[in-house]
Amino acid sequence: MPTFAPSPVDVFESGDAALRVVAKSGDSERDWNTVHRLAEWLEMCGAEGLRGAVATYDSVLVEFDVLAVSARQMRAFVGLGMRQLALSADDDGSPRAFDVPVVYGGDFGPDLSDVAEQQGLSVDDVVRLHSSKTYIIRCLGAPAGSPMMDGPDFPLPVPRLKDPRLSVPAGAVSVAGRQAVIAPAVAPGGWRVIGQTPLALLDISREPLVPYRPGDVLRFRPIPEEEFAAYAGRMMEAHA
Amino acid sequence: MKGQLIVRQAGNSVVTDLGRFRGPRYGLPVNGALDQYSARAANILVGNDENAPLVELTALDFRMTVTTDVLISVTGAPLTLTVSNRECPLWQPVSVAAGETVAIRGIHGGLRAYLAVHGSVDAPTLLGSCTPDTVVGFGLQLREGMVLETRCSLGPLRQPYFDMPLFRFGAERPPVGHELVVSVTDGPDFAEFGDSANLLFTSEYRVSPRSNHIGLRLGGRLPERTTTGEVLSRGVPVGAIEVPSREELLVLHRGRGVTAGYPVLAVATSLGLDVLAQARPGDTVHFVRTTVSEATIAYRRSMLELETLRKSVGTAFGLLGIPSPGGGQDLPAA
Repeated sequence: MPTFAPSPVDVFESGDAALRVVAKSGDSERDWNTVHRLAEWLEMCGAEGLRGAVATYDSVLVEFDVLAVSARQMRAFVGLGMRQLALSADDDGSPRAFDVPVVYGGDFGPDLSDVAEQQGLSVDDVVRLHSSKTYIIRCLGAPAGSPMMDGPDFPLPVPRLKDPRLSVPAGAVSVAGRQAVIAPAVAPGGWRVIGQTPLALLDISREPLVPYRPGDVLRFRPIPEEEFAAYAGRMMEAHA
Repeated sequence: MKGQLIVRQAGNSVVTDLGRFRGPRYGLPVNGALDQYSARAANILVGNDENAPLVELTALDFRMTVTTDVLISVTGAPLTLTVSNRECPLWQPVSVAAGETVAIRGIHGGLRAYLAVHGSVDAPTLLGSCTPDTVVGFGLQLREGMVLETRCSLGPLRQPYFDMPLFRFGAERPPVGHELVVSVTDGPDFAEFGDSANLLFTSEYRVSPRSNHIGLRLGGRLPERTTTGEVLSRGVPVGAIEVPSREELLVLHRGRGVTAGYPVLAVATSLGLDVLAQARPGDTVHFVRTTVSEATIAYRRSMLELETLRKSVGTAFGLLGIPSPGGGQDLPAA
């Protein structure tokens, strides 16, 4: 079995109770793999004082209890984890797939035409590019376990709103920079909202609270506005 | 015996604990008592586990009646505590008899207070914690008429002579006032702000009324990022200091979104976060630069204070025959 080749990492102090570990191979796939495997390893070991590890695209935030462990000790532990990763099997697990219906534009996606204009594309092209890619869920982020993904294949990065909205509805489908996301809950947001899914992502009576995990794949499917109500309230589920 | 606390005036109060430590890995903020030292002390003073559910009061007055004898303690910002109109000490265990009314009024010189009850109160949990999460819509925000179940009762404790106070624990209290000093360490992106980063240590900042448990907004002379370019979303620590706009500095507190895309200029220390938890709109904040190892020593020293308090309380309660209530939620190792 081939072993995994982790990216080299830099470790930065992030206050007295956290470290930021950044993978720096420059190969985004390998960096993502490295930080997620490191986070998994850290959580699995349950090191004394470790509060948790939050892996995103190319970095992990490692949080710890300052009473039980110092930043210096935790740094040594991260180093140990990196050496262990180099011995682990190169196994991708088995990703699940999600199909996400989206109503684009109008009240559902108030920023769609601005994004089209900024990209120098037609509205239809933006929808086509956004819905023709298979996205890998890179991490769970704010708010409320949002599935964070690499953005669609737009020609340019998408600038964030200058004045973030005070309230973005649950189900909002947004883009910013080179990233894409769906909002599981109502929250303020500065990303460009181009559509909305009628599916529910978050159920706080279940554990885990959201149905997907990093590594799962997802596609957006345009639906007409009239179909929104037919899906409303249904939970997002992996398809067979 | 179980009993009830009946909320008569809720003000702005919630049932919380030290935080949802399993939340961040699932994209949920840690939340939990904003002034962790005062919350831990309140629980210790009534013999509870430090992480036991307790009531956090923000700024406004609060009143409740009890249907059974209970032992309570109130810590945090200065305020007036009365039980059936007799004034009672803060930062001490206080006996309350069945039917009496506990009133907390006039929080000043700080913003938050903590009310712990011997044996704690029942509260639903999410990922092992009862702390509210406003984004996902979880938690006990108290309202007038709401009833909290206590897990045990404790007969009135009175000094036999002259009704003198029975307890006099010397718990160290955090500093109060309108000029706050907050220790910070250099953030991982400190260099991105060039020479302007030092403004953070030479200027004073004013707390905006738009501050809350997610973050404090501060007006003053702002360091400016000298680099541009796209930043990928990253996990940001509680305490992260960012400059998201040209108007204000943002210091993220325990309700912060777990990921963000702004560079982190500096990070408030664990003790600095307790100071910020008591900052009122209009207060002045001075940031003082420290190192991670100094911050670690300072934090451990303050936790040692609490450990000493726990021992004194344990000895006194043991002599009085007060049973240990247990029943807190263990802090998860990971």
